[in-house]
Amino acid sequence: MSTPISGFIVLSGILFAIGTAGVLVRRNALVIFMSIELQLNAVNLALVAFSRMHNELDGQILAFFSMVVAAAEVVVGLAIIVSLYRRRRTVDVDAAAELRW
Amino acid sequence: MAADQIAFWAFAPISIASAVLMLVQRNAVHAALFLIVNLFTLAVFFLLLDAPFLFAVQIIVYAGAIMVLFLFVIMLFGVDRDEPLVEHLRGQRALAVLLGIGLVAEVVLAVRAGIGFAARAPDGFELVNEGGNPKALSHVLFSEYFLPFEVTSVLLIVAAVSAMVLAQRRARSIEPAEARGNGA
Amino acid sequence: MIDLVWLVPALPLVGAVAALFVGGRLGRAAGWLASALVAGAFAVSVGMLVDLLAIPTAGQRTTVVHLFDWIRVGIFEANVDLLVDPLSVTMALVVTGVGALIHVYAIGYMDEDPRFGRFFAYLNLFVFFMLLLVLAENYLLLYVGWEGVGLCSYLLIGFWFERPAAASAAKKAFVTTRIGDTALLVGIALIFTRFGTLHLGEVLDTRLWRDIAESPPAVPFTAISLLLLAGAIGKSAQVPLHVWLPDAMEGPTPVSALIHAATMVTAGVYLVVRSHVLFEASEVAIVVVMIVGLLTALYAGVSAIGQDDIKRVLAYSTISQVGLMFFATGMKAYAAAIFLLVTHAFYKALMFLAAGSVMHGLADEADLKRMGGLRRAMPVTAVAFSIGALALAGVPPLAGFFSKDQIVAEASRSQGVGVWALALFASFLSALYISRLIFLAFAGERRSGVEPHESPRIMTAPLGLLAIGAALSGAALGLTVDGPLARFLKPVVGQIVERSGRLSDAALATVSVVVALSAVAVAWIVWGSGKVDWQALRAGPWNALQRFMNRGMYVDDAYGAIVERPGKAAGRGLRAFDERVIDGAVNGMGAIVRVLAAAGRRVQTGVVRSYAAAFLLGAVAILIYVGARL
Repeated sequence: MSTPISGFIVLSGILFAIGTAGVLVRRNALVIFMSIELQLNAVNLALVAFSRMHNELDGQILAFFSMVVAAAEVVVGLAIIVSLYRRRRTVDVDAAAELRW
Repeated sequence: MAADQIAFWAFAPISIASAVLMLVQRNAVHAALFLIVNLFTLAVFFLLLDAPFLFAVQIIVYAGAIMVLFLFVIMLFGVDRDEPLVEHLRGQRALAVLLGIGLVAEVVLAVRAGIGFAARAPDGFELVNEGGNPKALSHVLFSEYFLPFEVTSVLLIVAAVSAMVLAQRRARSIEPAEARGNGA
Repeated sequence: MIDLVWLVPALPLVGAVAALFVGGRLGRAAGWLASALVAGAFAVSVGMLVDLLAIPTAGQRTTVVHLFDWIRVGIFEANVDLLVDPLSVTMALVVTGVGALIHVYAIGYMDEDPRFGRFFAYLNLFVFFMLLLVLAENYLLLYVGWEGVGLCSYLLIGFWFERPAAASAAKKAFVTTRIGDTALLVGIALIFTRFGTLHLGEVLDTRLWRDIAESPPAVPFTAISLLLLAGAIGKSAQVPLHVWLPDAMEGPTPVSALIHAATMVTAGVYLVVRSHVLFEASEVAIVVVMIVGLLTALYAGVSAIGQDDIKRVLAYSTISQVGLMFFATGMKAYAAAIFLLVTHAFYKALMFLAAGSVMHGLADEADLKRMGGLRRAMPVTAVAFSIGALALAGVPPLAGFFSKDQIVAEASRSQGVGVWALALFASFLSALYISRLIFLAFAGERRSGVEPHESPRIMTAPLGLLAIGAALSGAALGLTVDGPLARFLKPVVGQIVERSGRLSDAALATVSVVVALSAVAVAWIVWGSGKVDWQALRAGPWNALQRFMNRGMYVDDAYGAIVERPGKAAGRGLRAFDERVIDGAVNGMGAIVRVLAAAGRRVQTGVVRSYAAAFLLGAVAILIYVGARL
């Protein structure tokens, strides 16, 4: 492969940054969750890139596990969002501001 | 330019663009769709990096299962309302941009200090992938990473149970008088 | 019986404890129980007297009965030991004998009181502490008794504490005697420093002093003696610490009779007489004792003439008589001082109880201006009071003549003419003020609005017994300087040096009688006969003099201005400081924390995205830091 590995790493960093910005800026809980998924994927990319760089399969295994855990996390997270919606009739995170001074 | 370089430089902008567009969509369904595009580009990158198994799993599990799950929930709850554009918290958007740029700069600097921008992947990966990528992966998975494997299977069961518990309709609470009546 | 000496303080202690715990349920029986226990202590004391007299050699009439070990720390040792010798047995007999009679009287006097049981508990507790004081074998135990009687005095003066005057008087008594008590404690510490022991037998045995004389005496006898005297001045209400005694009359009359006539105020006399070798070793101290005594006798005698409250007359009289006891002690006539102590206990307690009877019969009226003509309505009280008064005045053959006369005679023999004249004048004053009291209360026509009545027999019976004592004790105990009491006390106090003075004994006696009778005559003319309009005189030209005498020569008012008001002002100032500065600092810290917290908690906005921004910011900062270091 002739593409420099650093390209993948930088790309991963850029995607991670975009995901971070999404978490901070969006108000819809589901979109925030999706931004988190984007972050996870960016990390997976980095893992696989490093795995290729070091000629090992550990990175790919880790990316695999990351996907499994992400799946479980999505399941639970969405269940939480569903029950929150049932309570409040909205998925706007700014509406849940009662734990304040 | 080699084929992989063409592929990389073609899909990288698509990846970034789809991510940014996901960010700015006011409609949640549109955002989800753009994320799916992003996931596909990432799958292609996995393929470029000699991880064909992950390429397939990414499409099947991530784009195919997880995002579909997302879409279910979005369609149940958030589809008819668009998110307002006005930002209540002062400085949040600026902070987000700042943090994003900070992170990218950090990564660039780390790469420059570490592997350098010109580093290429070494050549011997075919030996690693001997017998095919899935077979090689399974060798490693069921030997070194057997414990995490079992644990994640438990994790999946737990996640499924917890989802059922969290999402069920709450049972009607029993009146104390009824409880006493039942006991007497 | 001497081994049973522990019963003497123990019986009243049992009474005190019992009355404290079950007194409410016993009712009037509490009074009888308390009286019986004190009478029991009296019986044991009589037994001890008999046993002492049975010892043929007078010099061996000293026994120490060890009860139990108390304090043993290094070289300091003080145990609960009781000393049985003539002086302590004499004091114990006075305390228990007069005390028992007063207890019986109090059963009648305090009849209606809701806290009947507690009164007798306090009375018995007082008797216990007083006995501890006089029977103590070492100075520390004596001090325990000293403090204990002070406490009981406070409790009893303020027995009717709902009355602010009583509560204030109790506080005044305690604080004033405290000044003396502190001096006494320092004196006891100095005794230990000098002698290495607090046992009376060792400190006061001059034969042992030679062993201690080797080391240079770091502590002079003058210091020790003057400090002990200061304690005595406080407890015995001498000038300048006398101001508490007139106010202490706020307490019930049995209390005044027991504590402020017969026993507690004589504790100072006992202390000085007991420690007389220390006073004699310092040339200055013994003279100071005499001066304090004479000065007090004259001061109190003058002030007594101007008092209108029947009990305050008796209070100043007590101050004056105790002053005479100190005067005698200062002249080294210790047996005479104790003689006066014993006879004074009889007639002063008698007069206090009779005064209580008068007040009881007049619905608690105590102002002499509103009495008069009571001899017809209260004959028994009148006779008893008169016997006591005549005894005090020094009319023979009643007790006061023998005891007071001995002191005046000693003054003529050992001191100069001036001192003797002053002593005679003090005697004149005592006859004058007490006659005035008798004539104002019992003679003339009735000035009160209330119909008076005689008191019940439970109150008049003790009066009778005390009257017998007041009448006969003088002749029985000491016709001459070498009388039975003096001989009994000789092993402890030594003997009065026989001196021949200017006048013979008979001449001296005649002079005393003339002085006494002339005072009675003057009193009759002014207050008894009705020929002199004393009410107009005191309202008119003699008004300033009357007020001067009535206010005790304004000594108490002076203390109020010099000590009390600045003290209270300082107290108020410190309180303001405490509230504003100290509490302010503490509360201020709380206020600061509150302000900071109010500012700080605004971080908790409840908005998830702000929190997310916060930790991402932190995460990036850490990353940058780590990256920069690489």
